[in-house]
Amino acid sequence: MVIEQYTITNKYNFPQPNIDTILPQRFLEQSINSLNQVQHPLQLNHTTTPQFSTFNQNQSNLQIKQTPITLKPNRQETIIAAIDTSTIKIGETTKGIITAVRGATTWLQNHTYKYTRLGPFIFHITEDNKKELYNTLERSYFSKTFGSYNQINPTLLQMPTRISNLLERWLQTMLTKTIKNGVLLFDGSLTAGTPETPTVRLNEILSNARKNCSTVLAFSKATTLRSNGILITEQLPKYDPPYLLETEWIKPNSQMRLLGDVYVARLNRSNFAFRLDIDREIESTERIDAVNKLLGNDLYTQSYPETLRLSHILCTFTANEVLAIKHFINRKHGIQIINRPDMHRLLFGPFGFRGEAYA
Amino acid sequence: MKLYKKEGNILQVISFPTENVEKGDYLLVEDLEAAKALIAQVIDVQFAAVPGVLEELLRTLPDGGEPIQGEDIDLMEIAPHITYIQDASLLVCKIRATFENEMLSPSSSWLPSRSQSIIKKLSTPMLMKLARIEGNLPIIIGGTKDTSLLTIDASAIDGTLNIITGKKGCGKSHLSKLLMVNLVGYKATVVIFDLNGEYSSLGMTSDGKRNIYHDKIHTLTPSQNFKVALDQLPLNTVMGILVNALHLPGTSAREFRRLWKSLKERGKLNMQELGEAIRDLNCNQHVRDALASRFHSFVNSGFFTDCIGEATLLDETFFKAKDQGGAIVINLKNTSNIDRQIVVEYVLGKLVDSLSNWKLRAVFLFAEEAHLYLKETYWDDIVTRMRHYGIFTTFITNQPDTIQETIYRQADNIFLFNFTNEHDLDVVSRAARVDAETVRSIARDLPPHHCLTLGKVVSDFPIVAKVRRLDVKTMGETRLFFTNHKAQSCN
Repeated sequence: MVIEQYTITNKYNFPQPNIDTILPQRFLEQSINSLNQVQHPLQLNHTTTPQFSTFNQNQSNLQIKQTPITLKPNRQETIIAAIDTSTIKIGETTKGIITAVRGATTWLQNHTYKYTRLGPFIFHITEDNKKELYNTLERSYFSKTFGSYNQINPTLLQMPTRISNLLERWLQTMLTKTIKNGVLLFDGSLTAGTPETPTVRLNEILSNARKNCSTVLAFSKATTLRSNGILITEQLPKYDPPYLLETEWIKPNSQMRLLGDVYVARLNRSNFAFRLDIDREIESTERIDAVNKLLGNDLYTQSYPETLRLSHILCTFTANEVLAIKHFINRKHGIQIINRPDMHRLLFGPFGFRGEAYA
Repeated sequence: MKLYKKEGNILQVISFPTENVEKGDYLLVEDLEAAKALIAQVIDVQFAAVPGVLEELLRTLPDGGEPIQGEDIDLMEIAPHITYIQDASLLVCKIRATFENEMLSPSSSWLPSRSQSIIKKLSTPMLMKLARIEGNLPIIIGGTKDTSLLTIDASAIDGTLNIITGKKGCGKSHLSKLLMVNLVGYKATVVIFDLNGEYSSLGMTSDGKRNIYHDKIHTLTPSQNFKVALDQLPLNTVMGILVNALHLPGTSAREFRRLWKSLKERGKLNMQELGEAIRDLNCNQHVRDALASRFHSFVNSGFFTDCIGEATLLDETFFKAKDQGGAIVINLKNTSNIDRQIVVEYVLGKLVDSLSNWKLRAVFLFAEEAHLYLKETYWDDIVTRMRHYGIFTTFITNQPDTIQETIYRQADNIFLFNFTNEHDLDVVSRAARVDAETVRSIARDLPPHHCLTLGKVVSDFPIVAKVRRLDVKTMGETRLFFTNHKAQSCN
């Protein structure tokens, strides 16, 4: 084990007490472990694939109430905090993939934005180690694993998202445990019962928030939810923003469970609106008050909260970082980058473009 | 370091922060398979166009321009690698030569392998060894960045035209003194037109003691210890003074020539007889007036005397300097513009005379701010014509545009100090042995007392060196009002 080379300096100083550092430690251990398992000679494809932070479910049978809920910014000083995580595939080896994960929490306090970034953690995921890797990480977070066979046995391609999701839920837990009377912004929806998010886990997060009198607002950058065949974020009434549109009668698929009520939020005059999930266990007035506090404290250009935007920006991997990660794995673990021919380009020439780009 | 691009004779090399390469450094790009190597000089250091850097920088500044406060918990310690990649630099290099079969050639026509080439820094001693810069008559110019010495061969200055130029106060005169005393040390004859009276104390150490050059420095101050009798002057020297320095028109010059010959034949060639002869001259009034005004210039200069005992024979001083080497410092400080021109014209005429009669073998002429005592066109003549007599000129100036372009084109060596003005750099870059990019890029960033040496003395491998100290009494310092004493008394 090479773990001795790395020491966890306990500098995670985000708000306050009893921060559990087991998960980051496990991330580090598993990361080094997986990279040390790589055997020579190695191939690492030079291509990187787009990074993504959340995914959306397809739900139907949704109705939007046409009467908007008018919002009025509440300037009472409130901590606004947001979380996002990101993952990127660095390349392929003969046995698996190398992927990097990072999370960021951003908070606005006394009119100043501050952040804490955790990672990047680099994993070499193979068919052989993926199960052990995921279970070890999950066990270090929760005393037991949840869900179905698929959940504990994700495919190789699902692994980066799973690991990223695990990190995100851990960061959310930490935030809900530490912030009192705040507004907590999550990226994505409050849908549970998916392979990544067991209902119990999300319930626990929301319950922690409620105990600390905080409200969770989950913004989805993009949604597939439609009402009468049209995306819910594209059915905006001619009404002066900021406002929320309530939705009702959602019938998710059997395995999924919505732990929040779904709204369409249009926060300013820009032509953008977003799906907003608010913890359904919270009183309706408290929900509206939380959004009003968000409006009164945070910036929201393009109708999207700045704190959440910063979280996303801070955790996203830049091309420079990808190069640095490649440099790191080459120097520390001897993994060479080999330019494997791109079959699309090779066969189709200029028509072989697959639209690879950084998210 | 990795080879990135080659366009013409420009190489682009990717370098990482730990490699610590700077402008002016030399690189050896070795292609082992081809058994050849390129020698290239770094003329600019830029940031490498690393993808994603803009995003990286932008996201640190989203909070109204102030860096966003935060903490990175980077347990795997990737951050140093990010910085390492981010700070990668692109070295723009000029190919100076190809090294093949132990020989250097100025070719840059071949392409070294991008993936296999080994790039390493080439130390100055190694470069000097390869380029055979050092010779039998070494002159140590100063120290290079890699703490080695830049040593040139005195014979590389022999028969050449040199220019020392740079901003005011960056050490031009210091370098010219260094070259001068070294040449004197090798028994060369050196003549200096000393505009500010700063070379006369070269025979003294900084603490006022005599140094080894003391007996070889001959300071001549016009109208004090440097006077000439008309009888000692050849006619063509006097005509040179009248026409070139005092701008005597052609008709008047003809009349003067006649007058001079007449006095010479009668054995009455002295100032008094000349004055009377002009006064009594039976000719056009304008001609007489023209001759009379020039005669008064002669008288007012105090440079001409009728007393043979007072007259200094320049020939004698040349003779002293000829065998053991020596510097004849013509101290032009406190000399008016017209008088300066008369003296300079006389000295040059005398030099040509001595050289053409083989009384002297060759002379190294150091001319500070030459435009202040001779017309530009005249210097052109000196450079092109008098070179064949054995006058090898070194111009020292802080106004490079006062030297004609034709002179730059003929310059064999340029000692270039810092310049920031584009116009000045443009002028210098017209020199035939210099490439404009090198001059513009390196000279702009030279610290004080650092000199970029270009040309024959460095076998056309431009080298930057900090000019070494010289233990001589300095006289060229600018007189200041706010000296320490003054400042203290003000307090």
